[in-house]
Amino acid sequence: MSGRFGFIIRRLFFYVLAAWVALTLNFIVPRLMPGDPASNLFAKFQGNLKPEAMEALKETFGFTDAPLWQQYINYLSHAVYGDFGISVSYYPTPASEIIWTGMAWTLLLLGTSVCLSFVIGTLMGAWAAWRRGTWVDNILPPLLSFIGSFPYFWLALLGLWLFGFMLDWLPVRHAYGRGVTPGLNLPFISSVALHAFMPALTLVIVSTGGWLLTMRNTMIAALGEDYIHYAQARGLSEPRVFMNYAVRNSILPSLTSFGLALGFVLSGALLTEIVFSYPGQGFLLLEAVQTQDYPLLQGLFLTITVAVLFANWLVDILVALMDPRTE
Amino acid sequence: MTLLRLLLLLLFVSGCPSSRLDEPGVLVISQEQQASWTRNFNPFLASGMARWATRAVIYEPLFIYNRLTQKYTPWLGTEYTWNEDGTAVDVTIRQGVRWSDGVPLTANDVAFTFNYIKQHKGADTGALWSFLSSVDIVDEHTVRFTFQRVYTPGFHAISQSPIVPQHIWQDIDTPLTFTNETPVATGPYIEIDVFETQLFEMKRNPLYWQPANNPPKRLRFPALITNDQANLALIRGEVDWAGNFLPAAERIFVAPNPEHHNYWFPAVGGSIYLYPNHTRPPLNDRNVRKALSLAIDRQLLLKVAMYEYAPLPHPTGLTDGYLRWRLEDINPNHWVQYDPERAGQMLDAAGWTRGTDGIRVNADGQRLSLTLQGVSGWSDWVRAVQVISRNLRTLGVDVHLVSYDFGAWFHRTQTGDFDLTMGWADEGPAPYDVYKALMSPSKVKPIGDPSPNNWHRFGAPEMTALEAQFEQTTEFETQHNIGLEMQRIFLERAPAIPLFAAPAWGESNSTRFTGFPSQDNPYARLSPNHPPETLLVLTALEAR
Repeated sequence: MSGRFGFIIRRLFFYVLAAWVALTLNFIVPRLMPGDPASNLFAKFQGNLKPEAMEALKETFGFTDAPLWQQYINYLSHAVYGDFGISVSYYPTPASEIIWTGMAWTLLLLGTSVCLSFVIGTLMGAWAAWRRGTWVDNILPPLLSFIGSFPYFWLALLGLWLFGFMLDWLPVRHAYGRGVTPGLNLPFISSVALHAFMPALTLVIVSTGGWLLTMRNTMIAALGEDYIHYAQARGLSEPRVFMNYAVRNSILPSLTSFGLALGFVLSGALLTEIVFSYPGQGFLLLEAVQTQDYPLLQGLFLTITVAVLFANWLVDILVALMDPRTE
Repeated sequence: MTLLRLLLLLLFVSGCPSSRLDEPGVLVISQEQQASWTRNFNPFLASGMARWATRAVIYEPLFIYNRLTQKYTPWLGTEYTWNEDGTAVDVTIRQGVRWSDGVPLTANDVAFTFNYIKQHKGADTGALWSFLSSVDIVDEHTVRFTFQRVYTPGFHAISQSPIVPQHIWQDIDTPLTFTNETPVATGPYIEIDVFETQLFEMKRNPLYWQPANNPPKRLRFPALITNDQANLALIRGEVDWAGNFLPAAERIFVAPNPEHHNYWFPAVGGSIYLYPNHTRPPLNDRNVRKALSLAIDRQLLLKVAMYEYAPLPHPTGLTDGYLRWRLEDINPNHWVQYDPERAGQMLDAAGWTRGTDGIRVNADGQRLSLTLQGVSGWSDWVRAVQVISRNLRTLGVDVHLVSYDFGAWFHRTQTGDFDLTMGWADEGPAPYDVYKALMSPSKVKPIGDPSPNNWHRFGAPEMTALEAQFEQTTEFETQHNIGLEMQRIFLERAPAIPLFAAPAWGESNSTRFTGFPSQDNPYARLSPNHPPETLLVLTALEAR
């Protein structure tokens, strides 16, 4: 196989292999932790469970003492269909159902934050490089780096306290307000936007600096290249040189990081979600780890792994398409 | 660009936060801390799996044990009578009670409930059928519980069980996997008419059997993810009834609204103990244990760790919830107080003298080195074990403080893999329940086997006879004397070290509703953390 198409297919094989490795690790690692879901179940009943009831419950919950390889085969064969079993801490709701409720909100919050910060940061970085030496270049990168060095949850707490608690300008919790019915209607959508505003803002502010610097540095290097001078000498308009040649070539490293960042969107911004009581996947992950809810844990890790691998594969394709050298 | 700005403005304006002034008659409750709600109201599952409202509001028991009055309040059962030899108890069922679908409650439902859990062992979490032999109907309004042997403490477990309707549950073959999304029950609020992941609401049951004067019309449960978020809502006056741990309650909660914001943390449940592992010398020496206890500055512990919310423990470990049982004639030189000098002397006498580096050593040159374990997420306990370890180091003990995540801590505690650990204890209506868990030889499991109680692995041989005597009598006088004897054994043997009486967290906001229990009106515990006592509070609330 050769050419662009072959490249894409080869990458796909690699990702499938990586996915299998991740799935296997996903199975092994939770079982290495001390304690087990049965003890945690016991704890839920405040230790009041009598032995007979415990045995019956263990059976119901499916805590088998089957050999590990058997459990592994069982897990793998179900995981490919998205069936992770029944969550222990949210019994008897299937783990996939629990994950889905969190996933939608995480995708919304973090998806938009990552995309926004990428677009804004990259464009600002490109502009700073294009106008290097001017006030744009002298002020923006250090300013945004400085702001970006604050921990994002600290900014979240600050925002919550100032705009939510003290000034009461913005809501302090949840993904949407009371009294709006979920669905495609204006009150709901505007409520969602309002509730996502502060969490997203804190995430965007903190991460923009990183994108800006990467883009700016790559572009400054690219602007020194001969083909830029050639294009300008040939009389191409400034915006055209800027977008089609400088930005297009400099954005490739940023795109790769963007792919990775997009993939990790599903791990949620745990602390932001906690601060704003945003019902996303980050907190679900924490809870699953704490209660050693194997089905939920496995399901969550799987979604993150698949998302990362898929996003990377997409970016690989995009890079292959955009990189003029691979034509 | 202008269009974009206009659009954004429109979005924000139409989504502005609604006023915090709620519709009247809606009681907002904060008890469970969850990221999002799952619709499960199965009364046979543990709290956390099924919603708190299941056992606290929706389903009702036969009798409610009120910790403050130390009496059983008749609820779905109106009276109970033991037979001559204590092998059976007859419970009279209240008349005029109807299920929320209109079907009358009868003895059939009660008998069915208990026979149902006999059939489905996983639902019998209280192991009622380890002592019941049969549950039969005597007549339309009376149910007889017959025991396998005389076991009077069994009545408590029976009385607290939620009663379920026969005509619904007889068709359900797998009780544990049934989510019971639209429950049929007898409680004051049952119908869930709004259920979203962030919020759910329940309506007043129009068929409720108790008359009420202007009760709350609805209950509202916002999903609050952690204690901090729950406290934020509480402080802003958005919650009416909560059971959170609230640091510096006076300053942050009461001060913003002293007229309506109230907190009350009565310690009428169990105590919190420091458990020494009796299988690890020298913790099997009672003088060493007493010395360790004397070295702990409980006043400082309560100030640093508990904001002085909890009172000092009674030497017997029994809180004020056991007032009518408690031994008050105690030698003032007991070991549950702060006397570091006497602690040092006791250790010297036990053969542990100070070495050159200040750490005590015995005759063989062994250092007195102990690990102390706590739960890493629970900030109050973390501070408590820090104070204890400091006190013990001053005494000359080489203490290693370790904190584990709850799962790991609980596993180690249950399997006896510790030197010293902080932990709760069983509570129950009588000293029998407390001391059986602390000192009964029948509760001692080998190290490595997870044990629900008696983590410290101690058994006092006299307890076996005392337990049997207690179980076989229904006379309070006899039980009282047995309880006193058990307390004397506890004081003599020092199986575990009482640290403080565990408070029951409860906060209330009386801006919209009155009738909450409080220090001035102590008719029940304010805390919503102890169903079914919650029913006592819910049925007393009135909208302003």
